[in-house]
Amino acid sequence: MAIGRPVDVAAEIPEATRRRRWLAAVGEFCRQRPLGAIGAIVVVVNIVVGVSANVIAPYDPLATDYGAMLARPSAAHWLGTDAFGRDVLSRIIYGSRTAMLVGFACALLGATIGAVIGVASAYFAGKVDLLVQRVMDIFLAFPLIILALAVVSILGTGIVNVIVAIAIPMIPRAALVSRSSALAIREMPYVDAARAAGFRHRRIILRHMLPNVMAPYLIMLTAYLGQAILAEASLTFLGLGVSEPTPAWGLMLRGAAVQFAESAPWMAVFPGLAISLAVFAFNLFGDSLRDALDPRLRAQ
Amino acid sequence: MTKYIVKRLLLMIPTLFGVAVIIFFLMRIVPGDIVELRFAGESAYAQKENLDTERARLGLDKPIGQQFLTWIGGLLRLDFGTSMWTGAPITEEIRLRFALSLQLAIMATIVAILLAIPLGVIAALRQDTWIDYTVRVMSIAGLATPSFWLGIVFILGLLIVFKWLPPMVYTPFWVNPVQNLAQLIWPALAVGYRYSAVATRMTRSAMLEVLREDYIRTARAKGLWEKLILSRHALKNAMLPVLTVIALEFAFLIGGLVVTEQVFNLNGLGMLFVEAVGHRDYTLTQALVMLVAFVFIFVNFLVDLAYAWLDPRIRFR
Repeated sequence: MAIGRPVDVAAEIPEATRRRRWLAAVGEFCRQRPLGAIGAIVVVVNIVVGVSANVIAPYDPLATDYGAMLARPSAAHWLGTDAFGRDVLSRIIYGSRTAMLVGFACALLGATIGAVIGVASAYFAGKVDLLVQRVMDIFLAFPLIILALAVVSILGTGIVNVIVAIAIPMIPRAALVSRSSALAIREMPYVDAARAAGFRHRRIILRHMLPNVMAPYLIMLTAYLGQAILAEASLTFLGLGVSEPTPAWGLMLRGAAVQFAESAPWMAVFPGLAISLAVFAFNLFGDSLRDALDPRLRAQ
Repeated sequence: MTKYIVKRLLLMIPTLFGVAVIIFFLMRIVPGDIVELRFAGESAYAQKENLDTERARLGLDKPIGQQFLTWIGGLLRLDFGTSMWTGAPITEEIRLRFALSLQLAIMATIVAILLAIPLGVIAALRQDTWIDYTVRVMSIAGLATPSFWLGIVFILGLLIVFKWLPPMVYTPFWVNPVQNLAQLIWPALAVGYRYSAVATRMTRSAMLEVLREDYIRTARAKGLWEKLILSRHALKNAMLPVLTVIALEFAFLIGGLVVTEQVFNLNGLGMLFVEAVGHRDYTLTQALVMLVAFVFIFVNFLVDLAYAWLDPRIRFR
């Protein structure tokens, strides 16, 4: 019998079965890791709130109401108002949009570029690997805040530049992790086979090796999501991140929030709680995901 | 061992050189320079001549390659030069700020160790009980809470509950220890809590791993006192990864506390960083980056050394 084309195993499984398997995996995850499931739910709620901010928010986040400046939390303004009479709850809801956008963009950029560099470095080995390692060492030693300061000074403030400033320092860390997983994969027979079949380096790296570092990649991704949200809040708080009038959590903690902290503590407390809760949920989910994906931990 | 140490020390040089190249050219890409910034404040259109003399005085008129070589030459002689903005020697500028940052980093580390090791050990010993869950949730929450916000909440709490504010002006420890601690304990707690979260998790997982080792079973089988097993056999062996985490985090704290310093109005290295970049004070920024990078690389080196020292399996490989 002649050797036919390689069979795409996934294609032979009917759509319905595949969906059922997915659901079963999700069910398994929720049952075994309730904390992770809670985290996932909060994450989903956060995303939904961010996406549909314009529908849920009771007020326009930018609308000032000088009749209700620094108002206490009440039925009209659940979380009170700020120094311009803007509704704190609405600003937190819109801030969720910014946080999610920055979080996902940074984590995806940082983890993906890092993974590609790490896997390529492991694949080419030898001099290339050594050189990449050295360059990554340099970036690791570079103070993160200076990198961000420099990027923002060069590109200016604004959401895209903040994303770049936060994603760049993530790359060397992601590269290190992916490289160490990829080192083992490089020795696998299927990589040799792919090389023998005459595939280009790019194809081997992207199609054969990268999918096999998915577990560490997903773990990094979830960890970076939280970190990116924290970094964005810090940069914004320093005046180097997202700038007014974009509603952002870090921005809400700036200036007036500290100035009027004694008379209107809700201005400083609630945005911080929003940051903590969002990052907490991502970390909770990420932790459980790591336990579920990492076979070494699963055995324990 | 000596060969290993020398090799590691030599490897620091290319990394530091790379950092030097990046910060030198990065600062030159940043738009605007110190001379423009300084004269912008004085008159709407400063004479071009004035700008040129000032640039010549600071050596900014020379070709960029020459500027770089001059700077690197100074670094090799450990001469960081003078701050372009204030004209004071950079070692002077950095010294006081460094003392503050170092003290804060040490205090935060103490807070972190006092929290992390007992909590991590208890969580590992009572794995999967409510104690374990509480410790884990506490440490995940620690990772999720921005320490600058925690600082704001501390200040708020003190203000509302005790009607008291921590001192806002820095007093060196040797001048007035009470005043000094009354100011620095709050940022140290805020930063230390977050820092302890990482260390707690590491302690817990390292302890769990060690407790499964054969030698622990042997120690138990020979009827050794449980307390002794924990302190002498388990904890000692679990401390290596914890030490790594603590050391690396410590290296980060020396220049990475920009936001917390802002909240507590502390003039540490972080604030100096922001000012230096804001003024486009090339010499000061460069010196600071080199300092922070050196601390990071050196702490990494010490950690590797400690590993080799404490773990004979690594030493004799």
